[in-house]
Amino acid sequence: MESNANPYRDRFLSIDQVQRGFEAAGYVCGRAIATTLYVGCHLNKPILVEGPAGVGKTELANVMAAYLGVPLIRLQCYEGLDESKALYEWKYGKQLLYTQILRDRMNDLVKGVDGLEAAMDRLHQYDDVFFSINFLEPRPLLKALQEKGGAVLLIDEVDKSDPEFEAFLLEILSDFQVSIPEIGTLKAASTPFVFLTSNNTREMSEALKRRCLHLYIPFPDPKIERAIVRMKVPAVPELLRSQLVSFIHQVRNLDLKKAPSVSETIDWARVLLLLHAEVLTPDLVQETLNVFLKFEQDVEVVTARIPELTLKSTREFPV
Amino acid sequence: MERTLIEFITALRRSGVRVSVSETLDAFRTAELVGYGNRERLKDALAAALAKSLAEKETFLSCFSRFFTRDDFSQSDWVFPDNDDLELREEDAPLTRMLLSGDLPGLSVSMMNASRSIDLTAIRFFTQKSFYVRKILNGMGLEQLEQDIRRLKKSDRPGSNEKGAALENARQMLFENVRDFVEKQYDLFARSVSDELIENYLKEIRLSNVERRDFQRMQAIIRRMVKRLQDRHSRRRKKAKKGRLDFRKTLRDNTVYQGPLFDLRWKTKRIERPDIVAICDLSRSVEAVARFMLLFLYSLNEAVARIRTFVFCSNLAEASPIFEEYGVEEALDRLLRGVGVPVMFGRTDYGQALRDFEDGWIDTVTKKTTVLVLGDARSNFGDPGTGVLKRIHRRCRRVLWLNPEPPSFWGTGDSEMKRYLPFCRPARECSTLNHLERVVDVLLTMPK
Repeated sequence: MESNANPYRDRFLSIDQVQRGFEAAGYVCGRAIATTLYVGCHLNKPILVEGPAGVGKTELANVMAAYLGVPLIRLQCYEGLDESKALYEWKYGKQLLYTQILRDRMNDLVKGVDGLEAAMDRLHQYDDVFFSINFLEPRPLLKALQEKGGAVLLIDEVDKSDPEFEAFLLEILSDFQVSIPEIGTLKAASTPFVFLTSNNTREMSEALKRRCLHLYIPFPDPKIERAIVRMKVPAVPELLRSQLVSFIHQVRNLDLKKAPSVSETIDWARVLLLLHAEVLTPDLVQETLNVFLKFEQDVEVVTARIPELTLKSTREFPV
Repeated sequence: MERTLIEFITALRRSGVRVSVSETLDAFRTAELVGYGNRERLKDALAAALAKSLAEKETFLSCFSRFFTRDDFSQSDWVFPDNDDLELREEDAPLTRMLLSGDLPGLSVSMMNASRSIDLTAIRFFTQKSFYVRKILNGMGLEQLEQDIRRLKKSDRPGSNEKGAALENARQMLFENVRDFVEKQYDLFARSVSDELIENYLKEIRLSNVERRDFQRMQAIIRRMVKRLQDRHSRRRKKAKKGRLDFRKTLRDNTVYQGPLFDLRWKTKRIERPDIVAICDLSRSVEAVARFMLLFLYSLNEAVARIRTFVFCSNLAEASPIFEEYGVEEALDRLLRGVGVPVMFGRTDYGQALRDFEDGWIDTVTKKTTVLVLGDARSNFGDPGTGVLKRIHRRCRRVLWLNPEPPSFWGTGDSEMKRYLPFCRPARECSTLNHLERVVDVLLTMPK
């Protein structure tokens, strides 16, 4: 590994430093996450992040960019995404325009040369002018490689892309370089910190996984989730915070179509704050249920058990 | 430490986590980076480098905790004798000394060394356990220990008989510890290998011969096969119709170049998910195959294919509502017991079944439908209803016939298979899980 390839090393001196730094940047991360980031930085490896929707996979990349003080470059994947949208697009129009404008100059160039072949030879000397980086419209991947001071590259929902695109990513992920036929191989100016996220709609290929470290973010345990709520919605009274987190954790254990995620816990905390709630009551829960449940069937399932669940939460954290 | 890490990775591989060489190198660099001092930290870091999915993470964790537990000697009910009575002598073997002086760490080290020198990680089958126990014991110096015991028993020096007896007790303790150790190592390095053997056997065995006790295992295998098929087929892909220009799209996309058509666009075709009508024989002879095939199909139902199911024996009835109401396994049990479906379990009558289907549900079959018939075509010499099958064949995309009997049996006795053959494209033998997987794969790929 090149010694100068990693500009972030001083931000990753120890795992504790990462954990504290992220907390200061507004992201409560457990030991496992911090360790993976630490290893990822020192090994110069992309990190493949998996986990249920809404546990903060994308947020992790956001905070990382803030922590390192570099821009976040995001590539949202979808079916049909190809190189021209992800890497670069060739600006044919501009190229045409230039050749039109420079027609006279070209006449000058080939003036006094005999025959077509000799003229072509002469022109070939100037190939680089027509096929230069100026005619490239950089898309996220190329942008991330060109960023001088480093960048955080987030390849979001990579499982939504086609297998072909996944294969295309391999070169970037292992060598941080891309091959552009018209120009040649472009190396990263400074190695970007790469995150890939996946919601597991399909299994990623072995080759891709091999090139990445793997981080699974599960729903956080109550202690961490309380810390998250405290950080995001500091005004919520402590008692209510404990109760609502406990309630959400019980709901996650039910058989639901979509379990409430961390972002929904935060939404709920905000709503409860607006309603000036002090403690959790069955009525209050009933009225605000739709904040964190997104399916009619789920609402039905939970509604039937509100008194029981609320009682359990309030017992766990009594007034 | 290097060797330990390699052994750990071997254990991981044997438990079914695929670890490549480059990942092994990653693991080394990771371990070097975070150090071996903090167990939890090492675990998190190695998990990131080695386990690449949620399932693998779980395997990793259990493997890690089992592997990195010290295999200490436990003395259980063995009490160390008082050293004053049984003084150690020059001629005592090292193992004897360790046993009598209660040197547990020494014993552990000696056991580890012995197990390494014979490469215990190569253990594969449970029948090898006692072989390895014996080898480790020999490596630790069992022979000298035996000699000591014999010598002490024969000797008439005061106290040597007691010493011999104590040593015999200690030998028992030694046996137990080594056996436990080998047991643990077997768990770590070989358990999944023998599981794999059983699974491979189950995949090849005739479905009608699968015994009830293996049903759970079969269902687990099917779930895994389904997962694989789902990964391959769950996304509707677009396929380029080679050579057909999409003129409108080309014009639209090329306006940026002010006229010249640089960038040609081709017409594409969305691959639809297959529409399947399954007609299943439920009579005794095909029951087992029907069970597993329906299990297979319905696991794929939502994500990959659309299925309507009909079952028959003496007559035919639709079974889809049952599948909608209950889970797949529950629904299957109900079907096979004949609960909730108006099917009479008398003599199997293919002709009647096909006619019932034509009368009641022929509308469900369109040009896009694949009709999947599962049965042995043994119709008890009744009217086979080939005319009906011909009409169905004309209406649908294709008829696929799965027969649990091998082709050499087709057309023998009351089998009408030969008469159905002209209308089936293709007819396949389908009697093992491997057959099933292949058939379903064909069904989903649908070359036309």
